[in-house]
Amino acid sequence: MDITLRHTRRADGVMDAVRDLAPVVLGLAPFAMLIGVTAVRSGVGAGTGVLSSALLYGGSGQLTAITLMGGGAGAGAVLAAVTLVNARFLLYAAALEPHFRGQPRWFRWAAAHFVVDPTYAMVTRRGALGDLDDPARFRRYWLTAGGVLAVAWVAMTALGGLLAPVLSASSALDVAAPAMFLAMLVPQLRARPAVVGAGTAGVTAALASPLPSGLGLLCGIAAGVVAATVTPLTRTRTTDPSRRAS
Amino acid sequence: MILLVTAAATYGLRVVLITLVPAHRLPAVMRRGLSHLAPAALAALVVTALVGSRGATALVVLGPMHLALAVAALVAWRFRNPALPVLAAVAVMTVLEVLS
Repeated sequence: MDITLRHTRRADGVMDAVRDLAPVVLGLAPFAMLIGVTAVRSGVGAGTGVLSSALLYGGSGQLTAITLMGGGAGAGAVLAAVTLVNARFLLYAAALEPHFRGQPRWFRWAAAHFVVDPTYAMVTRRGALGDLDDPARFRRYWLTAGGVLAVAWVAMTALGGLLAPVLSASSALDVAAPAMFLAMLVPQLRARPAVVGAGTAGVTAALASPLPSGLGLLCGIAAGVVAATVTPLTRTRTTDPSRRAS
Repeated sequence: MILLVTAAATYGLRVVLITLVPAHRLPAVMRRGLSHLAPAALAALVVTALVGSRGATALVVLGPMHLALAVAALVAWRFRNPALPVLAAVAVMTVLEVLS
């Protein structure tokens, strides 16, 4: 293969990831800072907050862990709550598995750590365009997106921890994470199954929200997936061409 | 130590269906459902953050975050840039806090 072409293709995966990631990092920065702030204010310390960003690498799970640890909860309670909150990663991993199939063993074991809401949403959007079918291209895209996001996430958590004493007790940071997820959701609401799935997931998550931590979220996701899965069948029946012709 | 154990469990969730029990071995109906996962997961995440543990009534009892997220949704629909809705939502929340 021509060297220039090979270089261009390599740069493609990396640059696409950087392009997709830049607005995501900007949007997630307040959420990462909120984790640093929460770690300091809950008494577990900025160091634990930063460590949680590197090890857990998932905002809602980190907030759950930090809040519970700050409140003096036992190890079992923290483990159970965070596992429930992060159980959605199991589903993300299952959905992303076709991209990991045929990849080197080191990649499948190491890069799985980057499975998190934003990287999953980014790959879903790119994957729908058939952009990441080439394994090498997916590998470059995933390592760049996951790696850069991880570094930025840890850095912003540290910044939040450092600024915690001077930041006011504003709730403005609280809205950053849901707004980010909303920004990722809206472009996906093109087809009817997606709209039905999202609506069902939202309503179910709200109804189930009083359940212990994480369960409401999981119920919402499960109900949304089921609703979206059965929706195309319903639609196929109503738009049967033979019926329309008659 | 708690953090290390929790991180190991989270890593297990991430890796098990990629390396140990590859998802293509799952039943077909489950694999079909996975293609609809993204919108359902994102919507559930938004609503969970919005209502907390207050139940469905928190969806209709409007507060500053409802307005901020409504503006964020409009911006997301209009501009398709992931950063702008976040900035808009934070700006709305800040303005509402200053005004109140």
